[in-house]
Amino acid sequence: MRLKILTVDDSKTVRIIVKKSFKTFDCEVHEAQNGVEGLAMAAKINPDVILLDITMPVMDGVEMLTKLKSDPTLKSIPVIMLTAEAGRENVMKIAKIGVRDYIVKPFKEEVLQDKVSRVVDLRPAGEAEPVQKKIDDPIDILVVDDKPAIIEQIKSGFSHTPWNVHGVSSTGEAIDFCQKNVPDCIIISLSIPEDAAITLFRIIRSNAKTKYVPLFGLSVKTAIEEQQRAQQAGFSTIISKPIDFEDLENKIGKAVNLDASGKYFKMDGTFMTVKLPGTCNAGVVNDVSAHLKEKTSEAVNSGISNVVFDAQEVKSLNMDVIKLLLQSMKMCRDLSLKYALAGNAQIKDDSRKFEESKDWIFCDTVADAKATL
Amino acid sequence: MLSLGGISIVHAFLTQSITFPSKPFRKANDIKGINLNILKMQQTFPINDKDLEALANNALTTVFDTMLDTKVSLNESIILESESYNKGLVLPLDTTQPLVTGTVGFIGKLTGIIYIFMNLPFAEKLTCKLLDMEPDDLDSESTETVNDALGELTNMIVGTFKNELSDKGFHCRMTIPSILRGSNYTIEPVEVALRRIYQFECEGSPFVIDILMKEED
Repeated sequence: MRLKILTVDDSKTVRIIVKKSFKTFDCEVHEAQNGVEGLAMAAKINPDVILLDITMPVMDGVEMLTKLKSDPTLKSIPVIMLTAEAGRENVMKIAKIGVRDYIVKPFKEEVLQDKVSRVVDLRPAGEAEPVQKKIDDPIDILVVDDKPAIIEQIKSGFSHTPWNVHGVSSTGEAIDFCQKNVPDCIIISLSIPEDAAITLFRIIRSNAKTKYVPLFGLSVKTAIEEQQRAQQAGFSTIISKPIDFEDLENKIGKAVNLDASGKYFKMDGTFMTVKLPGTCNAGVVNDVSAHLKEKTSEAVNSGISNVVFDAQEVKSLNMDVIKLLLQSMKMCRDLSLKYALAGNAQIKDDSRKFEESKDWIFCDTVADAKATL
Repeated sequence: MLSLGGISIVHAFLTQSITFPSKPFRKANDIKGINLNILKMQQTFPINDKDLEALANNALTTVFDTMLDTKVSLNESIILESESYNKGLVLPLDTTQPLVTGTVGFIGKLTGIIYIFMNLPFAEKLTCKLLDMEPDDLDSESTETVNDALGELTNMIVGTFKNELSDKGFHCRMTIPSILRGSNYTIEPVEVALRRIYQFECEGSPFVIDILMKEED
């Protein structure tokens, strides 16, 4: 259900600015121009948060707040004062009645969004029904590291992907970047001086626009203490240096919820190729398996009748891969699809060690496999 | 609301209005000699000119920077002869053009009123900037829209000014903003202990802030 924000202000200008500030979020903004209207509207719509001015005609903000807090059905609605009336005395007086926060006019839209997002779960519009990005979409990755060589290494490591890697050397630059473009993923070096990574983590998590962006810590494998501090601060994923790019690519893909099927399944003429990557661990097998039925149906519907399972890059054959291939081949037979296998010498050797795969025939290349069909 | 020959006056706190003022004023930076009246006022009023100018400058700069993402600069500070405080004055602004004036008062240890005078085209420009509107979007209801936007900007400016006064120990509360519209008018206060006029400029357009205050017992 969409969030409801109630703005109570005698100034139409302020009400317009409040509406404008939340235009890009999944919420509806309701208006009232004094305390009397504000109380009536609060009772009618039961808002998730109220933004309340103080100096208003008919009934001012202090009186409305007092009445709101004495009404059992309304008293739990969080109130943020949005007023030009500041000064220590005023703030203390209002705080005693019970407000969640206080914003002094003039205010930046970002401050308003930030304060509201600390009280309610404010999500960008459209996030409720997100459009899933694909593995070959140009996502933006922000790398925060004071060592340019690491940034260059990450850029180079992802040069085979369409991903855009943006490098910045300080937390200030990172905040500026995030204000202009919200990245899909952020990688922060944990070794930036003065625990700047943890400070940046908190800033990013407390901002409405960036609070859901996946954040990875980057650390030398042996810097255990640094990694523990980061985990305590809330970093859920820490990448070790030297970086294993295949592993990092998978982690980013999962964290950003990319549709990875394009990485494994390719349609070409009358063929569908299922390409297995070098490191074919349980995660990869699950990924392929999750898309197998849908992609095979898609192939059949588009007139494809041949499937090649390409295991040429797979370093070793394990039971997970064998189970995947068994499941895939059965699906092909059920759908009357012809199939063939391509693999390297190691895979051929490995396949003979298992009862389930000892009779499999692997061609040397995908072209050879296609030729057998 | 009073209406005097095309002049609309909505607010009547400490003030009256007249037309065609003629009393001259001095620019602060032009003063070379010593004026006993000014010295007397400065010795008795609890805030000196330097602090007052800083308060006004900070209030304008903060609001314009935060809400309009634009800069203002102080062109001149005008120190009046004390006998001129309650006279109508020629403002350092083209008063023959349509004027829009935002005004908010404050009541407390210091009681006063602040006016912000500007020409209508500049008020419309600020409104568009504040509300993210194109000039063409200002339709038949533009008078109300501009009045409300200028009222809110004045509210924020006076709020910032007043909050600093409060933090200095001069606690006061604000009134609801009002708007004056017309041309060739000025303000004639009934009772005032201090009056200062500052001309600011923003993106080539001048505008004026007129501060009137007295200390309450």
